[in-house]
Amino acid sequence: MGSTIVTRWLLAATALAASSAMLAACSSNSNTQNANTQNSTAAGGTIIRIGADLPVSGGDASDGVPTANGVKLAVIDANKRKLIPGYTIEASVVDDAVNGKHNPSQGAKNIQAFASDPTVLAVVGPFNSNVAKAEIPLSNSLGIALISPANTNPDLTKGVLALQLRTSNPNAITYFRVCTTDDIQGPAGADYAAQVLKVKRAYVLDDNETYGKGVADQWAAQFQRDGGTILGHDHTVATQHDFHALLTRAASLNPDVVFFGGTTSTYGGEIRKQMADAGLGNIVYFGADGIRNDQFLTDAATAANGSYATVATVNASKIPAAQTFLKEYQAQFGQPVGSYSANGYVAAMTIVDAIASAMKSNGGKLPTRAEVLDQLRSGKTYKSIIGEFSFDKNGDTTNKIISIYGVRNGGWVFLTQKNYAK
Amino acid sequence: MHEFLQQLINGIALGGVYALIALGYTMVYGIIELINFAHGDVYTLGSYFSITILALIPLSQFSSGWELWLIAFAVILLAALLCGIVGVLIERLAYRRLRNAPRLAPLITAIGVSLILENIMQIWKGPSQIPFPQFLPDHVYIAGGVAIHERAVLVVVVSLVSMLVLNLLVFHTKLGTAMRATAQDRDAAQLMGININSTIAWTFFIGAALAGVAGFISGIYYGTTFFLNGYDAGLKAFTAAVLGGIGNITGAMLGGFLIGIVEAMTSQYISDQWTSVVVFSILILILVLKPSGLLGEHLPEKV
Repeated sequence: MGSTIVTRWLLAATALAASSAMLAACSSNSNTQNANTQNSTAAGGTIIRIGADLPVSGGDASDGVPTANGVKLAVIDANKRKLIPGYTIEASVVDDAVNGKHNPSQGAKNIQAFASDPTVLAVVGPFNSNVAKAEIPLSNSLGIALISPANTNPDLTKGVLALQLRTSNPNAITYFRVCTTDDIQGPAGADYAAQVLKVKRAYVLDDNETYGKGVADQWAAQFQRDGGTILGHDHTVATQHDFHALLTRAASLNPDVVFFGGTTSTYGGEIRKQMADAGLGNIVYFGADGIRNDQFLTDAATAANGSYATVATVNASKIPAAQTFLKEYQAQFGQPVGSYSANGYVAAMTIVDAIASAMKSNGGKLPTRAEVLDQLRSGKTYKSIIGEFSFDKNGDTTNKIISIYGVRNGGWVFLTQKNYAK
Repeated sequence: MHEFLQQLINGIALGGVYALIALGYTMVYGIIELINFAHGDVYTLGSYFSITILALIPLSQFSSGWELWLIAFAVILLAALLCGIVGVLIERLAYRRLRNAPRLAPLITAIGVSLILENIMQIWKGPSQIPFPQFLPDHVYIAGGVAIHERAVLVVVVSLVSMLVLNLLVFHTKLGTAMRATAQDRDAAQLMGININSTIAWTFFIGAALAGVAGFISGIYYGTTFFLNGYDAGLKAFTAAVLGGIGNITGAMLGGFLIGIVEAMTSQYISDQWTSVVVFSILILILVLKPSGLLGEHLPEKV
């Protein structure tokens, strides 16, 4: 009897171990693959790496890949212009998506891997705010700079919640970002909905993640200040992809706008599609930067028209200094830029600049991560392709521009942008 | 009132998909007492097969309604056939050798097969949501403020027809008799000259084929699919099978529709976030209070 129980558990354990090993093999495969393609571009000489932790597979890939391309282009440019003399820079792009969705614990693992590679001096990323929540404490305790191209949740840098993320070194800022935050993005979207689209009755949904819930709360609060009514606020569940019942309930309250705080990997596109089934196909669908991508258009298909989204950065095509970047990007990758391609480029270029300045001040030696951080904390003004900006004492950009997009004839179209810097 | 009716329709359409998946769970459990956790993934595989087949058909060349319905019918059959073959392969490779092993071994194997299928689908079409071609006409019928989409009708009709056909098969054919005999007493059935292996293989074929049908109609209903969809749907369908009385075909159907309706009503009258809590609470209550399920048979000799 005893032996059969042992055999059973052995069998169970082997099966579990085998299956988890397979899973692990799958996810680590995609990571090393990305890193390897970058390695092969190395042209010899002494190597400096810029890490990039982004969701480059799955539902977020249509955001993550264009952003990663921005980073790669920055590295190509920096090498061409010999911005760090005597060194070849490489971009090491790793994926923080697991099973098709951005994953905080995978992000944390990636940061640890970067930290244990001495050639990585700083990291671009992450893309999603809940991933940032898992990475900032590591970045803070390990002393490696993290520059996010796209995290918009304000609690990552400001206030009590931000302090809880950097308990190891509360006064040392190691996390920076080059996009603005949801306390600006949410209200900007609400103002556009209330004042330009003239909608009055909103049903608010979010995916209950750091980013989605945060931006939905901000949007809803401002929408009420603008004189609108919030008919209801509901959260979706991670595994859910049938929203008919939820939207039927929303439809019974007669909204003229549905707001969704979330991403395409948390079904931002499917919700728009199913709105049509619930009789809400003709009303405005409003979202934020998590849905301003091609995956949304694929998922929402014919129902995509009439959707709007904010993006927490400037539209690069409106900036003269970005024209060369846009041309190079098109030539290099054969497709138009994503919402945060220019931000990926700028985040990587900021790191290059910090490394170069640190080298200048220490007599040409390879700088340490701490010296790179010192440069980023210096408060200097960067002239970038997304405009002039500097990092404030929390690590936030002083550049506070929100751009607004809408879907017309099945494609995202730039509508307007506004500068919220005082 | 019309919200209630509209939610009832939402629930029935959602439940139709659960019911079709639940049929496969219940058949396999009925015959070899295995909870085939890979079954939910066979359902997703049905969507993947359908997408692949549809990509080969120049759909834009067909404009009239009946031609498209004919194509849909052919694709359903083909997807069901392919899923059925996968089901037989799973049984042959992963379960047959473990048929007399301790219960835990095939159960763990089933979880392993489920992970293997998920990873195959992830590698096959990538880890994003995959659009499902929306080629069928979709009229909306409005009656008393309630909107009924043709797609929802399709889901319900297909699942009901599948159940009827299955019932005919199980209770009025030689194969069905063999299946019931095997379910009752495998050794005695073998002594009566029934080929146990082929009977069990057919059971897997039919169960997996029904999952393939479910994969097609859910693709039409939702317009997208995702390689992990089968996990959640499989769990809900399993709950449906237990609710109806595992091993019982009509019970699985009833359980599927009930779970769908419970989900929709929870969303309307409690909160969308509570749907899973309510569904799985029902599962626990059923297991505690009436382990045989709503229509469960009394089979004391099997315990």
